[in-house]
Amino acid sequence: MPADIAIERSETTRRHGAFGDIVFRTLTQFFALLVLLVLGGVILSLISGAWPALQRFGFGFLVGQAWNPVTENFGALAPVYGTLVTSAIAMLIGIPVAFGVALFITELCPNWLKRPLSTMIELLAAIPSIIYGIWGLFVLAPFVQEHIEPLLIDTLGNVPGVGMLFAGPPLGIGVLTAGFILAVMVLPFISSVMRDVFETVPAVLRESTYALGATTTEVVWKVVLPFTRVGVFGGILLGLGRALGETMAVTFVIGNSHHIHASILQPGTTISAALANEFTEAVGDIYLSSLMALGLILFVITFIVLALAKLLLIKLERQAGKVT
Amino acid sequence: MNSPTARPRVSEPDMPDRSRPGDGGAPQARRVPSAPAIAPLVQRAPAAKDAVAVTAPAVKVEIRNINFFYGKSQALHNISLPLHDRRVTAFIGPSGCGKSTLLRILNRIYELYPGQVATGEVYLDGTNILAPGLDLNRLRAKIGMVFQKPTPFPMSIHDNIAFGIRLYEKLPNSELDDRIESALRRAALWDEVKDKLRDSGLGLSGGQQQRLCIARAIAVEPEVLLLDEPASALDPISTQRIEELIAELKADYCIAIVTHNMQQAARSSDYTAFLYLGELIEFDETERIFTHPQMRRTEDYITGRFG
Amino acid sequence: MEIYSRRRLTNWLVIGLSVLATAFGLLWLILVLSTLLINGIGAITPSLFAEMTPPPGSSGGLLNAIAGSLAMTAIATLVGTPTGILAGTFLAEYARGSWLGEVVRFVNDILLSAPSIIVGLFVYEVMVVQMGHFSAWAGAMALAIITIPVVVRTTEDMLRLVPSALREAAAALGAPRWKVIVMVTYRAALQGMLTGVLLAVARVSGETAPLLFTALNNQFWSNDLNGPMANLPVVIFQFAMSPYADWQVLAWGGALLITATILILNISARMLAAWSSFKQ
Repeated sequence: MPADIAIERSETTRRHGAFGDIVFRTLTQFFALLVLLVLGGVILSLISGAWPALQRFGFGFLVGQAWNPVTENFGALAPVYGTLVTSAIAMLIGIPVAFGVALFITELCPNWLKRPLSTMIELLAAIPSIIYGIWGLFVLAPFVQEHIEPLLIDTLGNVPGVGMLFAGPPLGIGVLTAGFILAVMVLPFISSVMRDVFETVPAVLRESTYALGATTTEVVWKVVLPFTRVGVFGGILLGLGRALGETMAVTFVIGNSHHIHASILQPGTTISAALANEFTEAVGDIYLSSLMALGLILFVITFIVLALAKLLLIKLERQAGKVT
Repeated sequence: MNSPTARPRVSEPDMPDRSRPGDGGAPQARRVPSAPAIAPLVQRAPAAKDAVAVTAPAVKVEIRNINFFYGKSQALHNISLPLHDRRVTAFIGPSGCGKSTLLRILNRIYELYPGQVATGEVYLDGTNILAPGLDLNRLRAKIGMVFQKPTPFPMSIHDNIAFGIRLYEKLPNSELDDRIESALRRAALWDEVKDKLRDSGLGLSGGQQQRLCIARAIAVEPEVLLLDEPASALDPISTQRIEELIAELKADYCIAIVTHNMQQAARSSDYTAFLYLGELIEFDETERIFTHPQMRRTEDYITGRFG
Repeated sequence: MEIYSRRRLTNWLVIGLSVLATAFGLLWLILVLSTLLINGIGAITPSLFAEMTPPPGSSGGLLNAIAGSLAMTAIATLVGTPTGILAGTFLAEYARGSWLGEVVRFVNDILLSAPSIIVGLFVYEVMVVQMGHFSAWAGAMALAIITIPVVVRTTEDMLRLVPSALREAAAALGAPRWKVIVMVTYRAALQGMLTGVLLAVARVSGETAPLLFTALNNQFWSNDLNGPMANLPVVIFQFAMSPYADWQVLAWGGALLITATILILNISARMLAAWSSFKQ
């Protein structure tokens, strides 16, 4: 570099490259803020779209069971109920299975199998919702109708107390089937988070527990899980957030009935299924606005769940930072 | 130009005042070898290019009253020392003593990280480079740095070196190629890579990668070279080659090298600064420090009593 | 001894159950994929790619749907990728530790997992209602909004993996910050970022819900991005839910097509990631 180039900045010379730095930084900052803008936009547009319905029905919207496009009387209870119940079924089935998968992969699986197995489980997450939907409609639902549901009706259907959960003609489609497919869909998410946090347990901790003569189950149950419980809970919430918002898979098999039945073998609807089915055909401002209001409710629920999950996982990272 | 430097020791009246250490081939009279392992190493072979002046070497960089803070904790306490032009100055000391921190002040690379603050002055040819309003990027072209771990860019060898040149000059390709060749020659890497200039820099061995980084640094024609433990990640043979390279480069640059390897400091440097817990304990010509340290702590470190 | 045998029993039980669980998960994967293959392979004929979506009762193909999906995915990728990369760059290079960075990252991760039908509603309100009609542009925008969080996340993660020594080496030569990022850091993280883009495209290829009320559907070929445009997912939805056999066959074919594309993209992304880490 020529020796006569001074390094002091004079009034006229800009810092070498300063202009480029300002432009680039502003550019990246702009697009980062855009992310915030999108969220803000989503919230605002949902509220504005839902406003007429919320004004009309007020708080009763949340607890109203009616869904009548003709009389323009709408209530969110049936979709909300369906969303919550299908997600609950998904969690009930999905969490233990995901735990089993995570346990297998981290503790029992031979090393050469770990990678391919994890990849295959993660492929479950890559399959789009609509594929699960048509598979559910054409393959799972008939199977459930012919084999599973009659079994459930005959056995659990006669148990007092629980029986009403399993009543009704076997239709194949319905809340149970939808919940089941959701379980398969959220399984990879929960299991992958579980696997990741299980692997953060320091090897010395596990090894010393094994060295005491503990069985695999005990190592996982008494050492690994307590150590990772924050992360595990975060993973569960993540799965729940996904289950709540799933659309296409549920739409195909839920039956789309705006009625609340006690039996999970009956059809129902979820918020996203209602939106998917009815939005493009909705006529009338209140109808559209009610659907928007449903969307708003779904957004609020999933936002809370996902925010909780995220906060837990952040807390986990901070803890890990202190431990390591 | 010899600016008076504050030396934290009393001058030796009975030793001839040698202004060029490593002068001539006559074996020096050695005092009590308080550092027996090191003393023989300090014996110098005649420097190849020492035919020139016998006047004291100019001071290129003057470090004055430097204090450094990582957030609230102070890492360097009131450091002052000179770096002579066309000489190698080594910073030695136990881990965590602040030698790398001091080095990184000289090209203000610490400013990449918020919360790290330096006070004091560093004069390069009379200009305080810690002053605000300075063009940092041009400063860094004048003061080059080579890091502990070789960091070739994910590009071809040619582009690695061209990267720095292109930051400042728009050269026609032929001239660019000449500059690249010259840099690689001076870094003793040309013969090994001249046929594969378009290959990725990541494909070289560790020692070659480090020489590539040195070539990259000298390609922008700096005046000062800062070497942060340049050979500590390399095998002994590569280390030796790097040391030979430094001996050659000394003729053209003011070099400051951080090393935790005392033998390396004794072999390669003309001046040595011993730091401990963020303070400059002793600064002197290498020969004197290793044969005849003034401070107890220096002697303890050199003889291996700690560190 | 009783305690010990109880412990052993429990252990074997749990192990057995976890093996079952894993088999369960794999079973569904195999079931879904094989059903898809069996039912869909019959529909993979040249006419699938040559003819348009037919009215019920006649034969046809999915050409307009495939073209529409390709067009909207391409636009979404073109819009979403630079946005996501730049936003991710901000998070990794300028905002580490700052509260703004934390907030953006938080919001981004929520958008990442948010129901995609909500995105559809948003774009409906903002574009379809304003424009007065459904359009491929709206559909592409909805897909872009889904692409962005994925790319932001992977870009930030990949950029953070680049060792700071590399950045320092470039800065020590006097390169201004933006050149350090663009010419050195991006290059070092390139393969990882590309993987992120591939994964985003894979995710977006199967999304139906956001297209339901933005691009809607179109029975015919359309060159007009300003109007409703056919796309594979919505066509599959419509055809599969219908009672017409030939429509259902086409639906399976389309489903197979989408799944094959996604799996190829996913596997390519993984291979790219493995290859790049192998190189280092």
